[in-house]
Amino acid sequence: MELLIGAGVIAATLRLATPIAFAALGGVITERSGVTNIALEGCMLFGAFFGILAADKTGSAPLAVLIGLLAGIVLAAVHAVASVTWRADQIVTGMALNILALGVTSYLNYEIYGSGVPSGVPLLPALNLDFLAAVPFVGGVIGHQNVLVWLALVLVIVLQLYMFRTVAGLRLRAVGEHPRAADTVGISVYKTRYAAVIVSGMLSALGGAYLSIGFLGSFNENMTAGRGFIGLAALIFGNWRPFGAFAAALLFGFSTALSFRLADPSVWPSQAVLFQALPYVLTLIAVAGVIGRSIPPAASGRPYRKQ
Amino acid sequence: MPIVSVLAALLAGAVLILISGSNPIRGYAALLRGAFGSPYNITETLVIAVPLTLAGISVAVAFRTGLFNIGAQGQLLVGALAAGWTGAQFPELPGILLLPLTLVSAVIAGGAWGAIAGWLKAARGVNEVITTIMQNYTVIFVMHWLLQNGPMTAPNAAGTPASSPIGAGAILPIIIPNEIVPLSRLHAGVVLAIAAVVVFWFLMWRTSLGYELRAVGLGARAAAQAGIDPRRRMVLVMFIAGGFAGLAGMIQVSGLFHRVFDGFSAGFGFDAIAVALLGKNSPVGITLAAVLFAAFARGGTIMQADAGVSSHLVEVVEATVLLVIAAEAIVRALAVRRGTPAEALA
Repeated sequence: MELLIGAGVIAATLRLATPIAFAALGGVITERSGVTNIALEGCMLFGAFFGILAADKTGSAPLAVLIGLLAGIVLAAVHAVASVTWRADQIVTGMALNILALGVTSYLNYEIYGSGVPSGVPLLPALNLDFLAAVPFVGGVIGHQNVLVWLALVLVIVLQLYMFRTVAGLRLRAVGEHPRAADTVGISVYKTRYAAVIVSGMLSALGGAYLSIGFLGSFNENMTAGRGFIGLAALIFGNWRPFGAFAAALLFGFSTALSFRLADPSVWPSQAVLFQALPYVLTLIAVAGVIGRSIPPAASGRPYRKQ
Repeated sequence: MPIVSVLAALLAGAVLILISGSNPIRGYAALLRGAFGSPYNITETLVIAVPLTLAGISVAVAFRTGLFNIGAQGQLLVGALAAGWTGAQFPELPGILLLPLTLVSAVIAGGAWGAIAGWLKAARGVNEVITTIMQNYTVIFVMHWLLQNGPMTAPNAAGTPASSPIGAGAILPIIIPNEIVPLSRLHAGVVLAIAAVVVFWFLMWRTSLGYELRAVGLGARAAAQAGIDPRRRMVLVMFIAGGFAGLAGMIQVSGLFHRVFDGFSAGFGFDAIAVALLGKNSPVGITLAAVLFAAFARGGTIMQADAGVSSHLVEVVEATVLLVIAAEAIVRALAVRRGTPAEALA
């Protein structure tokens, strides 16, 4: 047991949960405004590729993060225009943007870097809390985590407070539950939805940038490998709440960390890979209403037409 | 309008080729040559078009009933796994028994996997987009397990994790002799695909069940008023959709690879969404769209080899086609006052 829930596995859980958490938090915001964005995956991939491209070209990691975010924002803005202004089918648009992101990033990666991955690019630093080194478990878990891991932790709390303790958060939820009523009391449904979709793209891109220039220092085709979709699963599993989504991201990160740990030949290698299916199976069980009941915002996925 | 979206997408692709410093005309010429430039290239394009057509039908039959089947990919893989298992389990059976057995097992397995999403929608009101996405990833990891170190892993397999080869009786024969087109891989799956297109047409437009499914797709509440239970039709149509996708998986196993391996037929189920949308969910449209996207896929690899343009350009073109189709729904939404097809799909 020590082996499975030791500091190493928990630290890995945090690392693996971070990109999922960013996508999930972005997803919570956009879903709460009533727009389904399955292009979280594509935004994440954009953030990962353009983040590392910018790190390579500018030599500055913070600037690279900003450019990665910008790439995510651009992609999300297309989704916002299509789904809010033009009332296009949100799933079709999201699907198209995912394929587009995969194509554009793989294409540019091939054209710019060939099969080689840029090496020696500036990376986002880890926060080394050396004073924790003496504390047994805690030091091992949070002593050397990346700045973006900490940002994710802060963001969860900020978004939870924003969503349920501020007027702006209430307005966001009103737009997602009953846009007509929100409109009647003077809340701009379109502006709120635009902002929410763009923030979702930005946060997903942050998760992607964490993968490329925070965590691995490299990029490969389809690097996000479905993490944006796990983010989608996490927000549903977490009942469309920031705390819940983060808890789900942690659970999913843990199942992956566990599968890596179990994959060690001395542990349980043959079944380890099954644990990676756990997030999806758990989400299926959750939406089926077996454990609790996940209820989406009432107007989620429905275009709004101002009268 | 579909032609306009394809042209617009090709134009967007040309811009991308230009930006990256290559010659678009040279690139597209290589693509065209790769897709249709020789009898062999044509057969290779058709080999890709076969599973795309079937997966496209899978998406379209659900669309017609008002459901969005993003799960064709997972259903295809489940069908392939069932076919690979059945074909390898009874290798001594004669083809007249084993081939139908393989086919039926793939259709039932794919159908049952699809029906889960239909049931969750009908009984629990869960959006099928969510369930099918989750199901796709579930299959991918279960497949890793089955093939890497699990019950289906071939003994002594080297390289990519794979299942044991299927028996000779489960193999779909090559239909173009080597004397005519050397090395051709075009198999009898193409006949099955054409048959499936006809079945799709007959089912949807010549049977009362098809009428009911389309009625549910046009308006579930109105259909219920007319005595058609939309919920039962949803489960049934997702079974049918999964069955078509499962058949695509079986054809990949029996016609092409003769076993299942990790990373098998990735992406067909997603391309199928573009195929169904571009083909307007009609039998002929889907077939043409499948050939077009197959030509992109086949031509793309040649374009990369001959003109040095990454084959990923094809994905950009495909995504642009989808975006323009979405925009087309917008144009119509602006023209018509209410009840756009896009809303009917949501």
